[in-house]
Amino acid sequence: MSTTEHHHPEVHAAPRPPATGLRRLLAPGFLRAIWMMALFFGIGLALVLGIRAIAGWHPLWHWPPVLAVAFLTTMPLGFLAGIGAFDYWTHYALGRPTRPEDHSGHGARSWRDYFRVNTDHKVIGVQYLVTTVFFFVAGGLLAMFVRAELARPGTQFFDPQTYNGLFSVHASLMIFLFIIPAFAGLANYVVPLMLGAPDMAFPRLNALSYWLLPIAGIMMLSSFLIPGGAFAAGWTGYAPLSVVGSDGNIFFQMAVQWAGASSIMTALNFLVTIITMRAPGMTFWRMPLLVWANFTTSLLVVIATPFIAASQFFALFDRVLGTDFFRPESGGYVLGYQHIFWFYSHPAVYIMMLPGFGIVSEVISVMSRKPIFGYRLMALSLMAILFLGFSVWAHHMFVSGMAPWLRVPMMITTLLIAVPTGIKVFSWLATIWEGKLNFSTPMLWALGFLSMFVIGGLSGIYLGAVPIDIHTSDTYFVVAHIHYVLFGGSLFTIFAGIYYWFPKMTGRMYDERLGKLHFWLTFVGFNATFFPMHLIGVQGMPRRVVDYAPEFANWNFFISVASFGLGASTIVFLYNMINSWARGPRATGNPWRALTLEWQVSSPPPTFNFDEIPQVVGNPYEYGVPGARHAVLGEERVEELERVR
Amino acid sequence: MLVSIAVVVGAVTTAIAYFVPWLPEQASEQREGIDAVFWITTAICVSIFALVSAVILYSVFKFRAKPDDDTDGPPIHGHTGLEIAWTAIPAILVIIIGVASAIVLARNDRGGPDALRIQVTAQQFAWNFRYPNNVTSGTLRLPVHRDVVLQLRALDVLHSFFVPQFGQKQDAVPGELTKLAITPTKVGKYPIECTELCGLGHAVMRSQAVVMPAAEYDAWIRQEGKRIKGPPGQAGAAVFENNGCGGCHVFSPANSQGQVGPSLNELEQQARRAGKPLEDFVRESIVEPEAYLEPDYPNVMPKTFAQLPAEQLDALVQYLVGDEESGG
Amino acid sequence: MSTADAHAGPPVAHQSSRVSAPVLGMFLFIGSEIMLFGAFFTVYFFARVVNNAPAWPPEGLELPVLVAGVNTAILVTSSFTMHWALQSVKRGSRAGLQAGLVLTLAMGLTFLLTQMIEYTRVGFAPRDGTFGSTFYGLTGLHGAHVFIGLTLLTFATVRAFRGHFTAEHHHGVEIPGIYWHFVDVMWIVVYASVYLL
Ligand code: HEA
Ligand code: HEA
Ligand code: HEC
Ligand code: CUA
Ligand SMILES: [Cu+2]
Repeated sequence: MSTTEHHHPEVHAAPRPPATGLRRLLAPGFLRAIWMMALFFGIGLALVLGIRAIAGWHPLWHWPPVLAVAFLTTMPLGFLAGIGAFDYWTHYALGRPTRPEDHSGHGARSWRDYFRVNTDHKVIGVQYLVTTVFFFVAGGLLAMFVRAELARPGTQFFDPQTYNGLFSVHASLMIFLFIIPAFAGLANYVVPLMLGAPDMAFPRLNALSYWLLPIAGIMMLSSFLIPGGAFAAGWTGYAPLSVVGSDGNIFFQMAVQWAGASSIMTALNFLVTIITMRAPGMTFWRMPLLVWANFTTSLLVVIATPFIAASQFFALFDRVLGTDFFRPESGGYVLGYQHIFWFYSHPAVYIMMLPGFGIVSEVISVMSRKPIFGYRLMALSLMAILFLGFSVWAHHMFVSGMAPWLRVPMMITTLLIAVPTGIKVFSWLATIWEGKLNFSTPMLWALGFLSMFVIGGLSGIYLGAVPIDIHTSDTYFVVAHIHYVLFGGSLFTIFAGIYYWFPKMTGRMYDERLGKLHFWLTFVGFNATFFPMHLIGVQGMPRRVVDYAPEFANWNFFISVASFGLGASTIVFLYNMINSWARGPRATGNPWRALTLEWQVSSPPPTFNFDEIPQVVGNPYEYGVPGARHAVLGEERVEELERVR
Repeated sequence: MLVSIAVVVGAVTTAIAYFVPWLPEQASEQREGIDAVFWITTAICVSIFALVSAVILYSVFKFRAKPDDDTDGPPIHGHTGLEIAWTAIPAILVIIIGVASAIVLARNDRGGPDALRIQVTAQQFAWNFRYPNNVTSGTLRLPVHRDVVLQLRALDVLHSFFVPQFGQKQDAVPGELTKLAITPTKVGKYPIECTELCGLGHAVMRSQAVVMPAAEYDAWIRQEGKRIKGPPGQAGAAVFENNGCGGCHVFSPANSQGQVGPSLNELEQQARRAGKPLEDFVRESIVEPEAYLEPDYPNVMPKTFAQLPAEQLDALVQYLVGDEESGG
Repeated sequence: MSTADAHAGPPVAHQSSRVSAPVLGMFLFIGSEIMLFGAFFTVYFFARVVNNAPAWPPEGLELPVLVAGVNTAILVTSSFTMHWALQSVKRGSRAGLQAGLVLTLAMGLTFLLTQMIEYTRVGFAPRDGTFGSTFYGLTGLHGAHVFIGLTLLTFATVRAFRGHFTAEHHHGVEIPGIYWHFVDVMWIVVYASVYLL
């Protein structure tokens, strides 16, 4: 065991000596970021002005896009360069001899290490989660404003422009800065551990992906500050409204590019990690379902995300370059936007759900003390959802005026998605059947997810049936569906995941009583808030309205009151997390007695995850199977290798 | 056993649900088909939800681990029969929904050969309807039991036409002509909503659909057709009335009392203030309300009136200007 | 490099696939890029086919098919020089590597410059109808990719002249090379659909 000493973090990964004086301006960090942002802003401005001058346009006339490009495109690059996200690559590009990695970017020794470019997947995972929870609270507060406004008919607190901005930013933050990256954060922490890998395949790319997120989030939030108001065309940003509406739309269109780039790079990283860095013995059919889920999700991201990037480019170009992609009077095709947008955004709803399926599979199996029912079919149904998911985008366009013949085929594929999803639901049910159920907080969230997601999925079936969709499209029925699948579905699984891996990540145990309180408050508040939306939806209340007909007043008042309760339940969660992280009782390495690899190391795991890459010898969910092992580590591993030989 | 409980619960719940008026009043033939699909889907979905919750609730009470029980459950890895069942049965159920939907859809799309065609123009933030004899109006008037095909156009951004009682909805798309078939079955007044986010006034882009007995409708459309072809005073009054100008403006000859926009009794002074000849000013104010904004008034006057047929526009301007002169 | 073993660090990850991580990463990235081009082709398809554009190009507009054809030939040739550079380094010939890279860079630059000059001479702007929008959209997107490719090649060239890369270690040449081939193939598709069809 002499090699283990070798890898001990304290000995070798000593932090760089802190820079002093003027040198601090040159060392990577927020100080350098400040002046580099200014510098890059200047460069961007000069570039645009120069190009405009060459092209023969007045350089300054119509200045909003000019500023926007400099502000939204080059300044973020300045920030990234400033904090040091590009240092290694510049070094490499200039052809200096590449020195071996000194791993000073690895691991976190104090809270400050979370505020700099860190290449350790565990640190990045935590960075992701904290950042995304911040944006969840921001997006949730916007939703509280929405509900305050809707508590009564008429306009109370906000003018229509502000209101439209509120729900647009609410949804955009929730989707692009909370659900999608929160899953990426959890997976970042867990997937390499589960695979028996020391880190992700491209740690520096991983860090860069993370740092794009705060940029995108701040961009979306700051659109409230610009004249004309925030982007207010919904999170779907349909052209032509997003082209002719306020300049805030530029902020949406650019923020989506940054968030999208982050998504794609993370997905690439996961795919390469999963394909090339599995521990010996970890065949595809021995991977935990969470890994499977992230594998399929990453495929979706890599294939689909370029489409939303393109759709936002087109809308942006129509505004700032005067192109005609969506201008019918000069030959543009308005519905083209929707086709391209939904070709991403429908798969995106599975990007926001499949990782959750993975989390739930882990939690349910461990907490029921039974193998997951139908493991292979579970993995295959993920793949089926992936393929079907690409053939249903037009179900968002049943009333859009697109080619009528597209509707029936898209309806059939849409409805068929119920089949693989149903396989998953029933397999989870079969997994808890006759199990030894342990109702810890993660399990409560997983079971809550199971029931709430089924409601959301079933309302999706209503929407998938064209005649019903014609009646309910763009009403509160859709809003109910959105929240049942995204909140009752995705968010419940994120909570399950956060509680489940909290001991692993922080080395401390959360407060079980507060966790349960959080669950029940949320569960009740959630249903009281969103279930009635089905009713007012079929009754005909349109979505995205600041004002509504008086007949909907009672229900809306009820919904608003319930939603404040739902919001308050988040306080319990935040308190529990912060307090337990600081003061909770120490957690053992494997408090859930789970078999997957991340639980076979200490909590939190050592800087490089494993002293020696473990040897995988069996399936990950063999609870109740006498003598079954998933993997062997340490001395046992040596013995096992010997035995095999 | 659980399956049968679930089916029974599902059936009972659906039956009860059927008698609670969840859905808005039914006022079109198309809604009948939609409602049929809705109830089929509800029966299936409620049963499935009942099954899932039954299994969860049963397990929660039955399979709870004792506090000191550290043992594992039985190592069951799968069951081929079950897996086939829960692949095949949902597939059959959704195909049923799909087939029912496709049949209803095909019927609801059919406008009928001699349908009444009405041109619908949507613009931020108003609807304008134009009947075959060129009568225009701001509220939609329909004869009961007659097939109607709306032909929708949008002049600026996306809008969507929706009447919950008809169950039919269709976006109006710039640069595209879209169609919607409706056959009203009940006399009454129903709200028209815009359901596609179209900007600031999206929430208030509402109007009314008035379903009238066939004879009444015929009389109305004939009379209005005659009026808009009559002398300018009469034609203008008809256009003014039908397009709902009075809802926002005070105008003595029309006896209107709307308070949203400026009074139209003093157009001469207003034209002077704007520095334009009276007639041009009035015409421009109607066709392009944004060109000159009366101080202290919100910029909410619809721009759809640019779509008025030329004769009607002339008559309207004459009506506003002419009476102004004789009045002052 | 030999210091690596003595250095503290993670255990060496198990290599569970024959393809190396950076190469796989590049292929996946290219997959993503193809989809991005796919979206631009989709909008082109909408404008031209779905919308039944009456004349394409519209009356009075003409594209310099020939000049662009020559430009295409230049770009395609640069793929071969790139291949030569890679083969050279595999053989251990530094001169071949350097020459191949420099030639590729020069041809790529020529291509980009020709394209820009073409922009100033075609006589229409992105704001001139969907024809202009899609033309600039597709060629501009491709131009951006040429630019990225050139940037990567510049890095490789700088390093090649500074004595990096050996017959065994040449990922730094191979991977920009894969990207460069992709950029070339993509151009053939863009050229065929924008100029020829
Ligand atoms: C996590 C996100 C998520 C998920 C997983 C889903 C899942 C599904 N969604 Fe949803 N959807 C959204 C997020 C999501 N959706 C969002 C955000 C919008 C609004 C976008 C906007 O306009 O702003 C939307 C809108 C939306 C529409 C468009 C509505 C409109 O605007 O007119 C439609 C229409 O078909 C639809 C359908 C479906 C279907 C059929 C599923 C299916 O995948 C569901 C499958 C699951 C089940 C069916 C339950 C479990 C299955 C069983 C227990 C088996 C037995 C079941 C049967 C036999 C029925 N969704
Ligand atoms: C994951 C996604 C997600 C999540 C979690 C939520 C969460 C919530 N959403 Fe949202 N929502 C969407 C995704 C999501 N939403 C989408 C995609 C749309 C469509 C937008 C569009 O049309 O473009 C939408 C639209 C939407 C609407 C429709 C707006 C309209 O059409 O006009 C409404 C209205 O009620 C709403 C409400 C809420 C509420 C009350 C919550 C609550 O659950 C939020 C609870 C959380 C908090 C409140 C934050 C933390 C709490 C505290 C810090 C405590 C202190 C605060 C108080 C007690 C006030 N959402
Ligand atoms: C939704 C309310 C609304 C409706 C309906 C409406 N208007 Fe107006 N109108 C306004 C408002 C508000 C203004 C003042 C702002 C402006 O000048 O645009 C205005 C201004 C005008 C003016 C310019 C008057 C001035 O003093 O500047 C004229 C003329 C006019 N309207 C005529 C009409 C006619 C004719 C119709 C019907 C065909 C009509 N309006 C329908 C709200 C309305
Ligand atoms: Cu018109 Cu909304
Ligand atoms: Cu969808």
